Amino acid sequence: MSRWWRPELGLAVVVLVLGVLVVVGTLDVSAAASQLGLGPRFFPMLVGGAMVVVGLCYVIDVVRGGRADPEESEDVDVDAPTDWRSVGLVSGIFLAFAALLNVLGWIVGAALLFFGLSVVLGAEHKLRAAGISVVMGVATYLLFVKGLGVSLPGGPLTGVI
Amino acid sequence: MDSLQLLLDGFGAALTPVNLLYALVGVTLGTLVGVLPGIGPAMTVALLLPITFTVPPASAFIMFAGIYYGGMYGGSTTSILLNTPGESSSMITALEGNKMARRGRAAQALATAAIGSFVAGTLATGLLVVAAPAVVSFAIAFGPEDYFALAILAFTAVSSVLSRSIVRGLASLGLGLVIGLVGIDQQTGQARLTLGIPQLLDGIDVVIVAVGLFAVGEALYVASRLRHAMPEVVPVGRAWMGRADWRRSWWPWIRGTALGFPFGALPGGGAEIPTFLSYAAEKRLARGAAREEFGKGAIEGVAGPEAANNASAAGTLVPLLTLGLPTSATAAILLAAFQQYGLQPGPQLFDHNPALVWGMIASLFIGNTMLLVLNLPLAPLWARVLRIPRPYLYAGIVLFAALGVYALNGTVVDLFVLYVLGLLGYAMRRFGLPVAPAVIGMILGPMAEIQLRRALAIGAGDVSVLVRSPVAVALLALAFLALLTPLFRGLAARRRVTASSRAE
Repeated sequence: MSRWWRPELGLAVVVLVLGVLVVVGTLDVSAAASQLGLGPRFFPMLVGGAMVVVGLCYVIDVVRGGRADPEESEDVDVDAPTDWRSVGLVSGIFLAFAALLNVLGWIVGAALLFFGLSVVLGAEHKLRAAGISVVMGVATYLLFVKGLGVSLPGGPLTGVI
Repeated sequence: MDSLQLLLDGFGAALTPVNLLYALVGVTLGTLVGVLPGIGPAMTVALLLPITFTVPPASAFIMFAGIYYGGMYGGSTTSILLNTPGESSSMITALEGNKMARRGRAAQALATAAIGSFVAGTLATGLLVVAAPAVVSFAIAFGPEDYFALAILAFTAVSSVLSRSIVRGLASLGLGLVIGLVGIDQQTGQARLTLGIPQLLDGIDVVIVAVGLFAVGEALYVASRLRHAMPEVVPVGRAWMGRADWRRSWWPWIRGTALGFPFGALPGGGAEIPTFLSYAAEKRLARGAAREEFGKGAIEGVAGPEAANNASAAGTLVPLLTLGLPTSATAAILLAAFQQYGLQPGPQLFDHNPALVWGMIASLFIGNTMLLVLNLPLAPLWARVLRIPRPYLYAGIVLFAALGVYALNGTVVDLFVLYVLGLLGYAMRRFGLPVAPAVIGMILGPMAEIQLRRALAIGAGDVSVLVRSPVAVALLALAFLALLTPLFRGLAARRRVTASSRAE
């Protein structure tokens, strides 16, 4: 791996590409024959153009070795190496939850989401985690659906609770 | 006194049983999310935005204001009892506060923080009562070009102050502006940047953006580098302090308020700079025993910055209410709440909805008093909240984020959008991009566009209309200067680095 490549370059390129996409995407907008002043294209062009400039500066800054401090937070060890396994598992669990929510219903889906995330993040007692997950799933459903009238998918448990 | 009468009317509105209950819920929730790592007032208010469909505006804003103030109180508890760096505005409090706690003076540190927050919050809200009508009478003559210049100033100031690297601040701002562009153009009805997806015609909801960037982004970031050792919480009883502590705290509270309020009111001022300045001032002014104590747990080093922190929150409300200008992420979300009610903060709001504005300001006094009562005797309870095992805490945060976002439209598409924004929030944290400019850009961007187009329509396409008023010229000049400051700071830092590397 060459020296100028760093993961941050990915984000910088995203900013640059997004700027280009905004400019290109705005060209599609048919500008209503502007009476006085500006049509719907002017401001997006301004933003897109500025994004391209900022993106270029960002890419150059990263390639030249510029960096900022990662955000500090109470539960984050800033010096630790990135734990890609946890990030991947959290992502996978969340995406699976989103995909299956309508099939599983809120109670089962939310309980599985909570259980999965707490185990990945290091919950030691699996049984206790499972118990808390079930309580969370049922409690949020009762509170928000029965109490506040929010509609959440019932899934197979529709009618049971 | 006209505004005094209005304020009294405001108390009349805020002191109804229902609104007192909303205030109590707000300050309790605010303290809770302030104490808990990983979530803050901005995300909490965002998650609660959907209640604006059912709750009358005055009650909703009384609750939101309570969350805002409560979050400030709660943050100090965390930084005093937990020896890990947290949000930057309460990091300064941790310097002396945590040392005090370790020397067995946790109760006094919490007391000076809570009472100082009360004193500063009350004084600063009083300043808000005086300052707001003055700003309103000045801003009543503002034209669209002035508002556009004001938005530009907010953009550049917030991007350059919140990050050490201006290009990262601007990148964050740009990401927010682009998100704000998505959807139907309000003036011509043209679809913009929707990629042909019909769900995007209404734009991307503020709730999804805020919850994605804050909650899901934070959860992924924590997952990536979790501190596996359980954080150490200093045990504490009821918060109290003796006569000597009172004597040493008074002046730092007043000085902290004097620093915090004006900085909070400035675009990009925020809470970080005044808390730091207050700490530096107290350290320099310390005499005798206190001077010895600095660095080992001096009460002045807690009292001053905590007061500055809270006063800045009140200061933030001045530009928000009088000009519709958000200067922090939480203020931007509050602005979004106003928009959900079809209200536009600014001079007209004081004219058309005096009951709402003054009811909210009155509720700040009430909320502050509630917070004092909630925080002094209940300190041990909040300390217990800090011991929630992190796996459950973050699993719960993600669960509520998913719940709030799904409940918006009842579609799982929003959950996938939430995840993508969470990834963005993760990357921004990882590489040190401040999140606030993105939130402010998203919410203020569309308003800046409207003002720009209005100004140019008045000028019949003549661009010089943007610099016709002296106010606009002054604001744009300040915006330009804000862009330059970090350049100088960067140069100075680089010189220092090269100097030190040469010395090695």
